Amino acid sequence: MATSSRPPSLRLGQQDLKCRLGCGFYGTPQCEMLCSKCFRERNDKQRKKQKAGESHAATGSGSSNNIERRLPKPKPLEKEKESDQTSSTLPLQKKKFNVPSVLQKTLQAGQKIAQQRGYVPDPTESQFILQFRQLRIPDDGKRKLKSDIQRLDSEIRKYMNNYSSKNVDELSDLVQNTYTKVADIVHNDPRFEIATNEDRDSAIDFFEKVVMTQNHKYLFSPYFTTDEENDVKVQKRIRQLSWITAKHLECNIDEVNAEARDLVYNAISELVGIDSFYSPQEKLQCTVRCCRHIFELLKRATGGPASADDFLPALIFVVLKANPVRLHSNINFVTRFTNASRVMSGEGGYYFTNLCSAIAFIENLNGESLGITNEEFDAFMSGQQPYSTPWESALLACESLHLISENMKRMEVLQKRNTVISTGITQFEKELIEFQNEVTEKVDTVMAKAPLNLLPIKTPSYLISQARSHLNPENAVAAVGGHYQANLLSNSIQSPPTITNHTDSSGLALKDTSIGRLSPLPQHQLHQPADQLFASPIFNYTPFDAVSLLEESSSEPADVLLLGSEFHGGLTNINYDFDLSDQSGENSTADESKLNLDEFDPLRTAPAATPAPVIAPHTDTVAVASAATASENSLLDTTTDSLIDSDLPVTNNVLLPSPLKPEVNYRGFSNFDIPSISCNTGEFSSLEPTSQPLPGSDQ
Amino acid sequence: MSSRRTRSGPILNFKAVLLGEGCVGKTSLVLRYMEDKFNSQHLSTLQASFVTKKITLPDERRAQLNIWDTAGQERFHALGPIYYRGSDGALLVYDITDQDSFQKVKSWVRELKQMLGSDITLIIVGNKTDLEDQRAIDYESAVQYARTVGAQYVETSAKENEGVTELFELLTQLMLDQRQQQSPLTAATAAGGGAHNHSDAINVADDLDVDRLDDGQEGNNESHRSCCGI
Repeated sequence: MATSSRPPSLRLGQQDLKCRLGCGFYGTPQCEMLCSKCFRERNDKQRKKQKAGESHAATGSGSSNNIERRLPKPKPLEKEKESDQTSSTLPLQKKKFNVPSVLQKTLQAGQKIAQQRGYVPDPTESQFILQFRQLRIPDDGKRKLKSDIQRLDSEIRKYMNNYSSKNVDELSDLVQNTYTKVADIVHNDPRFEIATNEDRDSAIDFFEKVVMTQNHKYLFSPYFTTDEENDVKVQKRIRQLSWITAKHLECNIDEVNAEARDLVYNAISELVGIDSFYSPQEKLQCTVRCCRHIFELLKRATGGPASADDFLPALIFVVLKANPVRLHSNINFVTRFTNASRVMSGEGGYYFTNLCSAIAFIENLNGESLGITNEEFDAFMSGQQPYSTPWESALLACESLHLISENMKRMEVLQKRNTVISTGITQFEKELIEFQNEVTEKVDTVMAKAPLNLLPIKTPSYLISQARSHLNPENAVAAVGGHYQANLLSNSIQSPPTITNHTDSSGLALKDTSIGRLSPLPQHQLHQPADQLFASPIFNYTPFDAVSLLEESSSEPADVLLLGSEFHGGLTNINYDFDLSDQSGENSTADESKLNLDEFDPLRTAPAATPAPVIAPHTDTVAVASAATASENSLLDTTTDSLIDSDLPVTNNVLLPSPLKPEVNYRGFSNFDIPSISCNTGEFSSLEPTSQPLPGSDQ
Repeated sequence: MSSRRTRSGPILNFKAVLLGEGCVGKTSLVLRYMEDKFNSQHLSTLQASFVTKKITLPDERRAQLNIWDTAGQERFHALGPIYYRGSDGALLVYDITDQDSFQKVKSWVRELKQMLGSDITLIIVGNKTDLEDQRAIDYESAVQYARTVGAQYVETSAKENEGVTELFELLTQLMLDQRQQQSPLTAATAAGGGAHNHSDAINVADDLDVDRLDDGQEGNNESHRSCCGI
């Protein structure tokens, strides 16, 4: 304690190793950082001084006295220092958990000698004196109490010094009997008559506290007991059991939760703190505080007042993780020397009992009590099985390490999930393959049962080919069956029936026109698109021209005939048809002349009249084309005319040719009843007058 | 003067342990008892494993009851002696729907008799009477057993709050009587009319029995007498 010259850092400088007196030689810690020569010289000096001077009235601990004597100090300062020493060493003594337990006994021996030499009231004692004064009991009672304290104190010392064979139970009985006696006196003696019950209890408490604190050094872990051995045993045992987690104990402590950890830390520090107090009451209070922290923890974990079923495992966990020093000594000290009623009843007693049972449980722990097999338990105890507990990593006081362990835990969980998923995937794959096999098998069996017979398809094709060979000469039948054949047969085969169709339709058209005006028109519409669907626009034109030519030649007299009888009807028919053509024309060519088209019907006849005579005598296809373009162009011209001029003079002139031209136009438009086709042809004919001669020339 | 001292003197302190298998409702019994008598604020204190309560019996005798809950798990069974050492009474709780818990009570009784002799007041408590339809141990056999071991038998329902207060009052009553029997000196000093008080206590206990256990009255009285007569 006095050798506080040790540098605070672990690294020693060169200077620190040298002799303190500065002689240049190296010093050693054994010689208090002096070199051997200086050390011897100083010791000689000191011895002389001791002989000459008075003996130290030391009250400090023996070890500190020894060191103190060796230190070279000027004499006048010595006394001051000494008084400092006593005041500074005693608080240190109070916090004696700093001192290793091995030193404890020698320390106590030293203290004994020190106390016998002289009496100087130390701070603890003066505190007691103050408390004694504050006790609210009559002065007579105080005097009685004081004498009892002194009597018990001296009895304990006498027992410790005199008896050759010492028994801790005897000592315990002695103390307990005194307690009962004192309690009896306090409660029944007339000197305490006026005091309240609380004051009497505090007087009894005070008695116990004073005696125990003053005699702690004798009564705590007495050398004639096996307390110290047990301490070591328990400590070792708990160290071996460090692998135990909250899970093993089935307690509701979340080791990873920071809040829970804090509470456990609090409980642990209280539990460890038991050793730092002298009196049994204070030790019990520590226990109570520790247990309250645990209850707080459990309340948060379970959400209600915790029962013993939850509490005991949690306490065991805390004891295991705290591994308090001198556990047995403390427990035994309390059980032996505190008022028996205190341990047997009250909150402190209950918690203390729980602590005792927790220790008993730890001492008798086996695999069964942890819910694991004994083999596992042995493996853990011998260290064969590696372990890592979140708590241990937290104890390393390194947050990152704790994080690592937390993450490791999480990773483990994720890994588990991953394996579940991957096994699921493989399983699914297997199932898929199985399913596929199943399906193919089923298909195979079905196929085997009912083999795919291609014959029914083959035979019709043969039949068709046969039928075709039969049907080809018969054109009349082919008119109906031609469409079906066209789908099945190749183009080469397809071409002849279309030709026949053309001839048929043209033939029909000729017949129809000869019969009447109204009926043939829809017939043409019905028959012709079938061919035109498969034909290109270029080829499309050829039948049109062919038909128109044929019709022009034939229709002229028919029109003439009609003029006389049904002029109006013919006109209305034409008009009506033009209305239809207008709609088709709107989509394509006549965008720019939309307004004109509305007035188209009557005027149409007028310009048509002019080309009509041109067409009638014509023989060349080019002339027809030019006529068509002319008619188209004339459409625009005539419309302008129609706006300016009145209908009457024109119509009169064009009455005769008008049916002719509309028929050509009509036919052309009626052919392209499907808008897209009609548009194309219309545009084709109108915009490309030069291209028209080419198909025309081909013909 | 002596009577004054009885009032102002130290209230007799009793320690009673709750023994029984896990999940038989030990804690619920305590919670129910404390809840009914105190405002809920008292219970907002963290725990239900250790409760202390001052009781004034109908005959104006006062006592402080310390109830120690114990962990019911089988692995802590061996720790029992640490708890019941020095206790004045024991409540042996079992679940009337659970035959195993009754067997556990029997083993506790054997152990207590062996360790503490007849110094301890025993009350066997059949809890969960609200689950009457699932009853596994009938009332008569339980009473019969209690009589053979010199214990009281009480049935309660912590859930429905049936017989809970009565249970603890009976316990206090019996422990007070026991204390007076054990130390006649204390009993004599404690009350001037000690004998009178004693008879009162028995009467009250009998009344309690009558109130609650109609058909088992005789058996209970017998067991009561045997309990006190030691």
